[in-house]
Amino acid sequence: MAGKSGRSINNVPESSIKRMIFSWEGILVLIFIAVNIFCAFFSEFYNLSSLLRQMPVYLAEVFLMLTMAYILVLGEIDISVGSIVCLSATMSCIVCNTNAPFIVVVLTALIVGTICGAINGFILTKFQELPPMIVTLATQIIFRGIAEIVLGSGGSISVTNTDGFRMIGGKVGEVPYILFLVLILAVIFAVILGKSTFGRRVYAIGTNRLTAYYSGIHVQKIRMIIYTVMGTISGLCALFLVASSYGANTTTGNGFEMDAIAMAVFGGISSTGGKGNLAGGVISAFIIVCLRVGLGQKNVHAQVILLIIGVLLVAAVALPNIVGQVKRAVQVKNK
Amino acid sequence: MKQKSLMKRITGSREALLAIVLIVLFVIVTAISPSFLTPKSLMDMLKNNAVMMVMALGMLCVMLVGGIDISIMSTLALSGMAIGMLLKYDVIASPVLAFVIAIAIGIVCGFVVGLVISRADVPPIIATMGFMYVYRAMGYLISNGGEWASAAALGSFKDFATTDFLGINCVIWVIVICYAFFFWFMKWTRTGRKIYAVGSNAEAAQVSGINVKNIKLLVYVIMGLLSGLGGALQVSVYASAMPDMQYGGEMDVIAACVIGGVSMNGGRGTVLGALLGSLILATIARALPLIPFFNQLWLNTIKGVIILAVVIINIVLQRIADRNALKGREM
Repeated sequence: MAGKSGRSINNVPESSIKRMIFSWEGILVLIFIAVNIFCAFFSEFYNLSSLLRQMPVYLAEVFLMLTMAYILVLGEIDISVGSIVCLSATMSCIVCNTNAPFIVVVLTALIVGTICGAINGFILTKFQELPPMIVTLATQIIFRGIAEIVLGSGGSISVTNTDGFRMIGGKVGEVPYILFLVLILAVIFAVILGKSTFGRRVYAIGTNRLTAYYSGIHVQKIRMIIYTVMGTISGLCALFLVASSYGANTTTGNGFEMDAIAMAVFGGISSTGGKGNLAGGVISAFIIVCLRVGLGQKNVHAQVILLIIGVLLVAAVALPNIVGQVKRAVQVKNK
Repeated sequence: MKQKSLMKRITGSREALLAIVLIVLFVIVTAISPSFLTPKSLMDMLKNNAVMMVMALGMLCVMLVGGIDISIMSTLALSGMAIGMLLKYDVIASPVLAFVIAIAIGIVCGFVVGLVISRADVPPIIATMGFMYVYRAMGYLISNGGEWASAAALGSFKDFATTDFLGINCVIWVIVICYAFFFWFMKWTRTGRKIYAVGSNAEAAQVSGINVKNIKLLVYVIMGLLSGLGGALQVSVYASAMPDMQYGGEMDVIAACVIGGVSMNGGRGTVLGALLGSLILATIARALPLIPFFNQLWLNTIKGVIILAVVIINIVLQRIADRNALKGREM
């Protein structure tokens, strides 16, 4: 959409087929197919049913990516989510062990998450000058610290009555519930971000906060909502995490924030704000999930998988920039 | 123009405020446990926090140009693990060579991070997050899948942390030398002032002839160098090397800088601030087990609350200062 003035408007989709194939999402789909072919050759156990069986553990992090995408589009960052997951997992385990009905356990996880998210949002909107990185760094330490205090010297808790968690860890046929939930939420979040007024406002804030403010967008209200929802979703992630491990400890959710950010950024959502969409984020999330399942089946150590993710992450951001620089250099030369 | 009153000058200076906080902390802790304020106890405190204190200097440089580096503890683990394995399998024996190798690995790691950030324009948080994974995994890979280098395997290298030079532990000498050097470097060298210039206003710095890209590269190399040094110190002080050492420790280093008044937006922060910030964190970590009711479990929560309180108080003071400045203008 680059006009004569040289301005370009971000995020306006162009409907040419060529654009679609050469867009980042198109490349991601190709990578997704390539990763699946690679996994199938790499591990003889890799097929649809084993994928569906082993997926749920990794799918919990995809929830976090959905809301992290909003925060990244705002041009901000939330590194406290891993700790929120830890705290709400701990709390839900404790409530579950008091023989409370399962709905109370679910509500506990969600409410603890929401409160944590709201605390982040409250501090960030009351003191707007503060960089989100530093506030969420502090709350990251605090939330995990509270979980550590609650868990006591043992540092871990396991669920005695696993019925409820077994239920949400169940499946329809071979497809686990969590996959349905991830896909449904992904569609909802993608539609809100891409098609609703709210979503457009998020992009506006991410592109230029001051302009957005002067054109009548309640910047702080939107930030508050997004950080709070981030907390709620972290609570949801915690529930499914407990459903796969039947317990929590002080290291639960360690590094989840980084994984969620990595998925979003690899999916083309710029961490400087205003760019990217959730389709890319969801595809990249599934690339990483498939990679983890495939490599995990052959006992490749988690660290090696992290190495691959790290390289992919840096390459995904660095390569387009380098290509752009080279192109510009060539253009200048030609002139 | 009236001269500012002494009171105002003290409350206006961040370092003075921090020093007062530190003294108050010292007094409180000594009142509770008199054994705290003995030379041996203070030396132990410095020794145990040597890694954090040294690396806070690098983080100061990185944050001064408006960046952030969360890959530092992975670099530390990689360099520490490398010398740990080299010593374990008797490839090298001399402690000096071990230090040189650790620092060299750190510099290479920092250089790669710096290149990606300064030349490929990758946002620092994303780039260092990627390298956080990569270096940690490399540290794990060179350890043959999780091997340790225990005290017995480290030979004479671990003695570095137990020997004294002029009555003071060698590790503390390293801290003193690093701080003395950086105090001079940041204040009285051209390169040091260029770092401040780039952080305050990168465009203005570019126009006035500073090579912004090279300065950005430089700060990450400095950070890498200090991470490598930190790796060697870590292995020496704790007399063991393992691939997951200092996991999550980068947050402590960032916290020390933030408490010390280093701005996340760049351009603001001093070596003295970084020193006081890391000393305050170290004192709290040391003092907490001495206080009844609180135990080690509360450490992280209190640390987090302090970081939050410091940054919020900072903002409130800033707002009051801004309002007062406006008041003066209206009159």
